[in-house]
Amino acid sequence: MKDFKAKIEEHKERFEKALTRAIDEKSLQEVRNTYMSRKRGALKLLFEELKTLKPEDRAEAGQMINKLKMHVQKKIESSLKKLTVPKPLARERRIDLTLPGQKEYWGAQHPVSLFQQEMENIFIAMGFSIEEGPEIETDYYNFEALNFPPYHPARDDWDTLYITDDLLLRTHTSPVQIRAMEKRKPPIRIIVPGKVYRRETPDPTHLPMFYQLEGLVVDKGITFAHLKGTLEHFLKTLFYEKIKIRFRPSFFPFTEPSAEVDIECIVCGGKDEECRVCDGSGWKEILGSGMVDPQVLKNVNVDPEEYAGFAFGMGIDRTAMFAYQIPDIRYFYENDLRFTRQFNLK
Amino acid sequence: MKISLDWLKDYIELDLSLPDLIEKLNMIGLIVEDREEQGSDVILDIETYANRPDTLGHLGIARELAAALDLGLKEQKWPLTEFEQKTSELVDVQIWEDDLCPRYSGIVVKGIQVGPSPEWLRKRIEAMGLKPVNNVVDMTNYVLYATAHPIHAFDLAKISGGRIIIRKANGGEVLRSLEDSDIALTPEMLVIADGKKPVALAGIIGGEESSVKESTQDVFIESAFFDPISIRKTSKKTGISTDASYRFERGADISFPPQAALMAASLLTQFGGRASEGITDAYPKPRKEKTVVLRHHRVSDLLGLEIDEEFSVRTLGSLGFQVEVQQEGVWQVKIPHFRVDIEREADLVEEIARFYGYDKIPASVPPLRVLEPPMEPRREKINKIRHLLFHNGFDEVLNFSFSDPEKEARLQTGYKAIEIRNPISSKASLLKTTLLGGLLENIVWNKNRGAEGIHLFEIGNIYFWQKETSREQLTLTLASTGPVGPVQWRRKSEETDFFRVKGALESVLTYLRHEPFSFKEEDHPLFEQKFSLALIFKEATVGYCGLLKRNLLDSFSLKDPVWAAELNLALLFKKQPYSFQYTPVSRFPSITRDVSFIADQNVDYQDIKEVVEKLNIPNLKEFDIYDRFSGSSIPKGKISLSVRFVFLHPQRTLLAKEVDELQEKIIDSLVTKFKFQLRKGGKIDKRIRKD
Repeated sequence: MKDFKAKIEEHKERFEKALTRAIDEKSLQEVRNTYMSRKRGALKLLFEELKTLKPEDRAEAGQMINKLKMHVQKKIESSLKKLTVPKPLARERRIDLTLPGQKEYWGAQHPVSLFQQEMENIFIAMGFSIEEGPEIETDYYNFEALNFPPYHPARDDWDTLYITDDLLLRTHTSPVQIRAMEKRKPPIRIIVPGKVYRRETPDPTHLPMFYQLEGLVVDKGITFAHLKGTLEHFLKTLFYEKIKIRFRPSFFPFTEPSAEVDIECIVCGGKDEECRVCDGSGWKEILGSGMVDPQVLKNVNVDPEEYAGFAFGMGIDRTAMFAYQIPDIRYFYENDLRFTRQFNLK
Repeated sequence: MKISLDWLKDYIELDLSLPDLIEKLNMIGLIVEDREEQGSDVILDIETYANRPDTLGHLGIARELAAALDLGLKEQKWPLTEFEQKTSELVDVQIWEDDLCPRYSGIVVKGIQVGPSPEWLRKRIEAMGLKPVNNVVDMTNYVLYATAHPIHAFDLAKISGGRIIIRKANGGEVLRSLEDSDIALTPEMLVIADGKKPVALAGIIGGEESSVKESTQDVFIESAFFDPISIRKTSKKTGISTDASYRFERGADISFPPQAALMAASLLTQFGGRASEGITDAYPKPRKEKTVVLRHHRVSDLLGLEIDEEFSVRTLGSLGFQVEVQQEGVWQVKIPHFRVDIEREADLVEEIARFYGYDKIPASVPPLRVLEPPMEPRREKINKIRHLLFHNGFDEVLNFSFSDPEKEARLQTGYKAIEIRNPISSKASLLKTTLLGGLLENIVWNKNRGAEGIHLFEIGNIYFWQKETSREQLTLTLASTGPVGPVQWRRKSEETDFFRVKGALESVLTYLRHEPFSFKEEDHPLFEQKFSLALIFKEATVGYCGLLKRNLLDSFSLKDPVWAAELNLALLFKKQPYSFQYTPVSRFPSITRDVSFIADQNVDYQDIKEVVEKLNIPNLKEFDIYDRFSGSSIPKGKISLSVRFVFLHPQRTLLAKEVDELQEKIIDSLVTKFKFQLRKGGKIDKRIRKD
C-alpha cells in the first residue's frame, strides 16, 4: 500500500512536469492521452493494479486514483483554456489601433448664435431673464417712447428702414425696454437679444441687419455704480479677468447720464499705432449704456423719483468680430460652412 | 466736427501735450476720432452728439475744455468802422412767422472789396477742409465754425426795396439756389424774401441771385434763429442739408444772433468795409433762460457716490450755468441759451458726473430683489431644437431678413410680402415670407466652394401681411442635399434623402413632446407632386416636408435633389405638448416577435399601422417596421416587409401561448385586409427578450 501511494505521487509529479512542457494544444492532448487514454493510459493501468492490492486497501487506493484523475482533468482543461484566449491575437494579424476612430457627424451652431448664447449665459448667472420683442415696430416704441421727439436729428444716427409712415424695422432692441416696462412693474432685470436693422449698405463693418443685446435694470436705488459693476463683470467674464475697461460720457436720447464703454484693444494692447482694429487708440468701443432717462420712465408710468434704472446695448456680431478678430462682418452671413463650422468648439 | 488746435487757442490757453488733450476731451465725452497734422497746426476730428449743437464750433469746444481744465476763456473784441446810417433805415426786417423765426438780426456793411481772403483766414477755412472762395463767403464760414452760429450774407443791391420779410413760401414760388438748381417751394417752407420774391430758404441755403459775387460792394448780414423742426422738415423735404441747416435743426443759441452779426461786420470792416449803425434785431418775444432745480442728493442717488457740493457748484459755474441756492441742498440752476440739451435735473447730474470723471465712480453689483425664470419656454424650446438638429447633422445658418421680389415670387409661399419703403437695394426690398430662399442660396454658395453634402437649418421669423396687420412668424426650415458627413474608412457615407429630413422633423416633435403627430400626403407648391407630406399636430398643419421642385432648383442652378422641410414653430408652440408622466418600468420580460410578409408594393406602411392600432391589441408595447425590400427573391410587384411586435404586461410574465394568440389575430387581420402572405422561411420567432 505504501508503494502504491508513492507511485501515485510519482505520477502526479511527472504529470506536472509534462504539463509545464506542453505549450500548445497538440502537446496538451498528448499529455492527456498519456494519463487518460482508455486503452493504455497511466490511470487505466493504475486501476488494473488495484486487483493486486489487499482487499482492505482497495477502497482507499481507488480514491487516490480518482483524485489524481480529477486533478489531471482539471489541469488539462484549464491549460487548454489558457491557450484558446490569446489565440487570435497571437496567431492572426494585428489590429491597427492607430486607425482613426469612428466619428459621428454633427452640425455646428452659427457663430453669432453661439456668441449670443455665451453672452446670455453670463447675464442669466447674474439674475437676468431673457425678453423678446417684435422686429417690425411702430415709431412710438422705436423712437418716441425712447425720448426721440419727431423730427429730432438724433434719429439720423439710427438710419431707419420704413414699411409705412408708422411701421419700421426696429433700429435697436431698445423698444423692448418700453414693452417690458409696460407689461410689469419694477424690479426689472432683463436682457433682450435680437435682430435689428439699419439703412446701411454692407461693407466690412456695416450691415443692414445685425444682432444686438440690450439690457435693462430698473429698481429702487439703482445707480450708475451698479451699471459699472454689472458691465465690468460681464466684460471680464466674456473676455478675461484683467481686461482694461473705460467708461466715458456719450449721448443717447433714452439715457441720462449716458456712457460708452471701451475695452482695451485685445489685438495690439494699445501698442500698435497702425492697429487696424483700434486705429492705434488702444481702445475699442464695445457698449452703449446709461441711466434710464427720467422721461422714458415717465412714458411707461414709472415714477423716476421712486425708481431708477440703467440700460445698455451692444452688437453681438460686432463683439464676436472683435473677440475672434474677424476682419469682415459680412463673413457671418455668407454662411460658408468652412467658416461657421470652426466655431463648434470654443 | 473738425477742430483746429491753433484756432482753439484763440479762445483758451492750452499748455498740455496732445495725448493729454485728447485724453481730456475723450473723458468728458468729446471723442477724438482722428487727428491730422497740417503744418504747425493739428486738426482733430471730434465726434459730436445730436443734442450738443453748441459743440459744433471752436468756441463750444473751448468752453468744455475750460471747464475740464479749470481755465477761463479769452475775451474777444470785435471793433467796427461805421458809417452814419442806421441799419434799420437801410433794411426793413419784418418777421411774419415769429414761431418759425423767433429772432432775426442783421447789419449792413458797405464798400467791401470782394476778393481773396487774407492768409490767416484762408488757413482757418482750409483747416475745416474747405476751399477758400472769397473774403465775404470765407468770413461767413469762419463765423459758423468759430461760434457754431450760421450767418448769411446777401448782396444788398439785390434785395429789392430794401425789405427783408421772413415768411412762408407761396405755392409755386421757386428759388434758384447757389448750386444753380431750382428749388420748388411749398407753403410750409420758411423763406427770406425781399419786396418781390424769396431770396433764401431760411436757415438752409441762400439764393443765387442775391449771393455775394466779385461785383458785390454792399452786403446785408443775416444772423437769425430759426425753429429747429421747421428747418428739419424743409431740409428733409428738399433733400438739402448744409452746415447751416445741420446746426439750426439741432438748435442754435437764441441769445447769439446780434453777436454773430457784430463779429461778421467787424471782420468785413477789416476788408475795407464800413458798417451801418447798430444791429437791427427783431426779437418779438424774448425768451428767458431756462431754470432747472437740482436737489444735490439726487447726484449721489443716481451716481452711487457722494460728490462735494462745492465741486458741483464749481463745475456748473465753469460751464456757464448760474447756480442759486434755494434752500439747503436745493439749487436753482439757470441754463445759458447755448445749452439746448439741459432741461431736467438728470441733465445736470450728467454734467457733474462728466467732469467728475466716470472713471472715479465705483463699480458695484445691483442687489437682486426678485428672481424670475431666465427665459420663456418658447426660447428654451428653440435651444432644444437647435441642439437636437446639431446631433442630426444639420448646420445652423443665419440669413438676412430681406428678399429679392423676383426670388420671392419663385418661392410661391402665398403670403402677402411686406415691402420696405426705402430699401438699401431693389434686390432687398421685401421681407422674407420663407427662410427657404436663404438656405438654397447657402447651398449654392457652399457647393460652389467644393462642399458636397450640405444639411442646413435656420430658425427665424418670416414676415407677411395678414389683412392690415404685419405678422412675424417663427419658423424652422431645413434643407438637405448630398452625402452625410465626410468619407470614413469604417463606413460609407450615406446620401441624404426624404426620410432624413422627415426623421429630423419627427425627432423635433417627439423631443418637444408634441405627440401624437401624423403625416398626410398633400401637394405643396414648393415640392414635386406626390413627393410631399403635410405634418399634422392637433388637427392643424404645422409643417411640410418633401423633395423641392426641379424648376425651383434649376432657378438656383442646383442640379442635385434638395430635400426640405418647414415647421411653423409659432403655431406649434401655441399648442400644448402632452403632459409628461413617468411610466413604471415593468419588472417582467417582454416578448418580441418578428414577422415577415410578402405584400403588394402599393400597400402603405401608414395603412398597416392604422389597422394594427385599430385592433387595440392588449399589451402590445411596440410595433415597428425593420426591413423592407424587393428584388429577385420576391415576386414582381411585391415587397417583403418585416415587422416587429413587442408584447409586455406590466404585472406578470406573458405566456408564449397568449402571445401566439395575439400575434395570430394581427396576422389574420393583415392577411385579410391586405392579402399579405407569410414569407416562406419567415418563421414565427418565439424569442423571449429579457429587458
